[in-house]
Amino acid sequence: MSKEATPGDAEPIDVMDPKTTQYELVKEALRRDGIEILHYEPRYEPGSKEEKRVERTIAFFFALTGLGALGFIVTYIWWPYEYEFGGADVMSKWYTPMLGLCLGVALAGLGLGVLTWAKKLLPKEEMIQERHDGASEPEDRKLAGAVLAGVGGDIGIHRRPLLKRALLFGAAPLGLAALMPIGGLIKDPKNDLFETGFNKKFNNGKPVRLMREDGTLVRPEDVSVGGQITVFPAIPGGASLKHADSPTLLIHLREADAEEARKNAYVMNQGSQWQNFIAYSKICTHVGCPASLYEQQTNRLLCPCHQSQFHITDNAKPIFGPATRSLPQLPLDVDEEGYLYATEDYKVAIGPAFWEREKK
Amino acid sequence: MTVAATSRPPRRRFRRLGKVLRFIAALSLVGAIYTAFAPGIYADEPKGFTAEDIAKGKAIFDQSCITCHGNNAQGVDDRGPSLIGVGPAAVEFQVNTGRMPMARQEAQAERKTPMFTPEEAYFLAAYIDSLGGGPAVPKGVDLNDLSNADVATGGTLFRVNCSSCHAFSTGGGALSSGKYAPSLFPATPTEIYQAMLTGPQNMPVFADNQLTPEQKRDLIAYIKYIQNDQAQGGWDLGAFGPSTEGLAIFLVGIVALAVATLWIAGKS
Repeated sequence: MSKEATPGDAEPIDVMDPKTTQYELVKEALRRDGIEILHYEPRYEPGSKEEKRVERTIAFFFALTGLGALGFIVTYIWWPYEYEFGGADVMSKWYTPMLGLCLGVALAGLGLGVLTWAKKLLPKEEMIQERHDGASEPEDRKLAGAVLAGVGGDIGIHRRPLLKRALLFGAAPLGLAALMPIGGLIKDPKNDLFETGFNKKFNNGKPVRLMREDGTLVRPEDVSVGGQITVFPAIPGGASLKHADSPTLLIHLREADAEEARKNAYVMNQGSQWQNFIAYSKICTHVGCPASLYEQQTNRLLCPCHQSQFHITDNAKPIFGPATRSLPQLPLDVDEEGYLYATEDYKVAIGPAFWEREKK
Repeated sequence: MTVAATSRPPRRRFRRLGKVLRFIAALSLVGAIYTAFAPGIYADEPKGFTAEDIAKGKAIFDQSCITCHGNNAQGVDDRGPSLIGVGPAAVEFQVNTGRMPMARQEAQAERKTPMFTPEEAYFLAAYIDSLGGGPAVPKGVDLNDLSNADVATGGTLFRVNCSSCHAFSTGGGALSSGKYAPSLFPATPTEIYQAMLTGPQNMPVFADNQLTPEQKRDLIAYIKYIQNDQAQGGWDLGAFGPSTEGLAIFLVGIVALAVATLWIAGKS
């Protein structure tokens, strides 16, 4: 609203003059904001045939919106949506596409209507506005500063220490109260991140056997050479989310591959194989996806999420992708009843990294 | 050994021989008891191949397979593996799906139009079986009529055992270095059974002791069930899962939006 922002040489007009037209008032309002109208012209003669035609087009688009939205509501309420087996003749197979189609038509109609209105019906106009440079006038800035300082002085917090302390005492606990729900999420997991369901403490201090998802125990002869199965700790809830860190991939290697794996084993992993059986945690060490795409010829284990690859016959070392640590190996043995069991828990924490991981 | 043995008195020699014989007898007894009680890894039932089948199979083998698998199917380095002990199921799977003979050495043997008739594949299977046995689809398993199989159990088994590679909707997926888990859409029930039994290429083996024939039937019934089911809207984009759908939305949707914005801006 500074004075020299007024472009051109348009004369100020008397706004309060009752004879001033609406157009002149608009022009004046723009002038005061430093905008000048160069050209202004209605697109069509008001009430002309062309204008009516454009109006009908826009009305058509809006009607389309209404019909689409109504169609959406009708589909949502009455179209059969529950799963049924079948082909293209089954109505429920078209539930989602119908919803999408109706909503699509409704939104497209609205968009096209508004667009046509703006492009075809609004008057042709051309305006210019001078660009302001830099900060406001020094005078303006001084005045604004004084107003702010005045408000501060009126509140007078620096002169009234009692109010200052009272406000602090009132506000600070309120802020803490807002933080409480977040605080509830912060919990020390203690040793949980280092232990899985194969820990002896879940089985009264005895080693934990391996079981399938359905709870049946696993014998070595259940997995043929070149085969693999997912096993869980044979404890109550071993295959449930309570022990979601425990799924393990049990692989029956070929003789030569098993020999290679034994030869390559880290000191920590030595003796963890039982004959040609080898077991690794199924939780990817990158971000914890189930890495279970086992290639039985190349002995690679792939994680489907980010394409990490682990070399099964070399300590499940990562050989491709974002994972940086080997999958932990579960030490195996077979008990006198012929069932596979874990002689002890994983020797390192399974899954993705966490801050305290290396401390143990 | 023989020189040392002749220098000994004959009685000791016989005693020694007796010891060896007793040891062999004990071993075979233990072995027999073990095989009688331990669940066999492969069903050892007679497969019913005749000598004629085997001879016909050998004739085909000598003409079409020998280059890569060697003259006694013992394998050729850097060309093809030994086929001794792979069993008839593996042969029929590889030949009937057109994967064998391979067109060239590459990361993956692809499914293509088979070069041999199912009958010729049967002869080949007979020949390979005669060289060292191996897994075969058990006789009593009915794979033609799966109407009494449990689709729900099959679904659970599929999600536990198969979906990580073949995707939830059986469309297949990528593996390492150019390999991939193929789509299960073109596979027949018998081919799926044989594949589980033998673990072709990089697929792990799911022998009949790991997934019983009953469970395999459930699994196959489930695979065929969801393949005959229509996807929402009718076009499943290859049933590969969210990646293709995301890509389609990105390429088609975002491009359409970009074009629309350009069109609106260009007309002002």
